[in-house]
Amino acid sequence: MASKDITVGYYAVLREARGCSEESVTTECHTPSELYGQLKAEHGFHLAESQLKVVVNEDFSTWDYVIQEGDHLVFIPPVAGG
Amino acid sequence: MFSLSETPLDPQALVAEVADPHSGACVTFEGWVRNHNDGHTVLRLEYEAYAALAISEGNKIIAEVKEKFGVDHAVCVHRTGLLEITDMAIWIGVTAAHRGEAFAACRYIIDEIKHRTPIWKKEHYVNGDSGWVECEHCAAAAHHHHHDHAPTCTEADYYDRQVRLKDVGEAGQQKLRDTKVLVIGAGGLGCSALQYLAAAGIGKIGICESDVVDASNLHRQTLYGTDLLGNPKGAEAVHRLQHLNPFIKLEHHACRLDKSNITDIVGHYDVLVDCTDNFETKFLLSDVAVLEKKLLIQSSIYQYEGQLFVYDPAADSPCMRCIWPEMPAPNCVGSCAEVGVLGAVPGVFGSLQAMECLKQLLDLPGKLQGETLFFDLLHYSARKVRAHKQPDCHDGLSERVKPILEEAPLEWHWNGTGSPAENGLTLVDIREPEECKADPLNADDFIELPMSSIDFEAVPLDKTKAYLLCCSRGMRSKNLAVKLREQGYTQVYSLTGGADALHP
Repeated sequence: MASKDITVGYYAVLREARGCSEESVTTECHTPSELYGQLKAEHGFHLAESQLKVVVNEDFSTWDYVIQEGDHLVFIPPVAGG
Repeated sequence: MFSLSETPLDPQALVAEVADPHSGACVTFEGWVRNHNDGHTVLRLEYEAYAALAISEGNKIIAEVKEKFGVDHAVCVHRTGLLEITDMAIWIGVTAAHRGEAFAACRYIIDEIKHRTPIWKKEHYVNGDSGWVECEHCAAAAHHHHHDHAPTCTEADYYDRQVRLKDVGEAGQQKLRDTKVLVIGAGGLGCSALQYLAAAGIGKIGICESDVVDASNLHRQTLYGTDLLGNPKGAEAVHRLQHLNPFIKLEHHACRLDKSNITDIVGHYDVLVDCTDNFETKFLLSDVAVLEKKLLIQSSIYQYEGQLFVYDPAADSPCMRCIWPEMPAPNCVGSCAEVGVLGAVPGVFGSLQAMECLKQLLDLPGKLQGETLFFDLLHYSARKVRAHKQPDCHDGLSERVKPILEEAPLEWHWNGTGSPAENGLTLVDIREPEECKADPLNADDFIELPMSSIDFEAVPLDKTKAYLLCCSRGMRSKNLAVKLREQGYTQVYSLTGGADALHP
C-alpha cells in the first residue's frame, strides 16, 4: 500500500493535546477513522471519534472517506466557551 | 411621578404615595448631603435645576421603569435650593409585587436621574471656595439649557459615518432601527457583540442573562467594572449600553432560557445572537431557531480560537444539528472557567457576531451561508468549512428537533370516551403473562410486551409512533415511559390508573 502525504490540523482541545495546529503526516491509513485511531493512540488524545467531526478539504466529511494524496484533514472537537 | 421641592422632604408622607395592596415590596432610596467630596470638606450644597426639562426628563425615567420592570408605583422628589450636611437631597420610592423589580427599578431611577436630568450642584467648601460639580445629564436631554455648554448629539450625528457607507445609507439605517435582536448571554462574547450592535443602532436589543458580575469575569466582560461586583449583569449591561446609545431600546430578560420560556421570549425578536457558554443552551437555541424560523448567529471560543456559525431559515441553511446531531457531553471539552481564556478572544468573536449580524441585516456580500468560520487567533489562520443539511432537518420538520421543545406530558388519562387507538395511541400491555391471564385487558387491540422481557438495546417499538403503556396500577408503566423517553421514544405515555382504568 502506497503511503500518502497529507496535512492534518487540530482544533481546540486537540491542538492543545498535540501541541500544534497543523502538521504534515505521511500515512498508509485509508480513512479518517483509521488515521484518528492511530493518532489518538500515538498522542494520547482523550476524545473518542464519536465526539469529533472531521473536515476534509474544507468540507465536513464522513469517517469512511477514502484519503487521497495531498488531502487536508482537520479534527474538530465541540466547543462551547463564551 | 417626578417632582422638585424647595422645602425639606418628608419620607413618611412620600411613602404613603407609593403604598398599594398589590405590592409585596417597597424599596426606598435617600440621597443625603455628605461633608466631603473628592478630597474637599463640604459645608453645604446648593441645587439648581432647569425645572421644566428636569421634570419632563424625570417623568420619562419614571415611565421607563414602569415599562421595564413592571412596578406598581414609582415616585422621585429632588430638592433644590440650599441644603445643609445630612439634609436629604433626593427621595425615591418604588413598590412592586416582588423585591427584584423594586430594587432594580429604584437603582435605575437614581442612576438615570443623576445622568440625565439637568440639575446642578454647587458645593461650598470649608476654605470659603465653592464650585459647580459636573452634571452628567445626557446629551439628548441637554440641548436647551446648560451651564457647561456640553456638546450635543443628535441621532443623525450618531450614525453619520455609518450612513455614509453606500451599502448602508438611510435605508440601511432604518432597517437596523426596525430590527429587534436578542443577545443571549452578556458574558465575554455578549459584552463585545452588544457594544457594536447597540452602537450600530439596532432598534431594540434584548439581553437574556441571569448571572451576576463576578471578579473573574472582568478581564473579558468589558461592560462591567469592579464597582459592579455582585450586581445583575443584564441590568448593568442595559444601563451601560443605554448611555452608549440613548437612541435605542434595551430590555433585560433576567432568566436562563429553558424549554418553558424560550419560545415566548424569542417570539419578540427577529434575530438571535448566541453568546452562551454551554451546549445545552446552544442546542436549545438552534432548535428554537429552526422551529420559529429565526436568524441565529452562534459563536463559541476555546482559549485562542473560536468559531462562527449562522443559521438562516430564509436560505434553508443547515442548522447546528446538521453538524452535531446530538448534544456533546457537557464535560467532554473544557470551559473558560476550566481551561482559561484571553479576554481579547471573546472580544474578537463577539465583534464578529455583531459584524455578521449587520452583514445579514444589510445584505452585505460575503455573508456566511451554511459555513462555519474557524479562526485561530494565534496564527491568524481562518477557514470556512461547509456543512450539509441532514435530510430530516429542514423547515422545522426535524424529528430530532421537535420533541426537544414540545415534551409531552408523561401520563395519559382515559376519560372514558374514545379508545386509545382512536386517540392515535397503540396500547401496550407491559404486565407479566400471569397477570394478563388473571385480569385480561379490556381492549380490542393491543401489543403484549412484558416488562421483564424488554431488552433496552433492542426495544421492539418505533420511535416515530405513539404508544400507551399499561400495567396494573400505572406505576410500572410510568417508570418505563420515563426510561423510554430518555432513549428517544418521545411519544410514549403511561396510562394513569393502569388496567383498572380501562374497565367501564
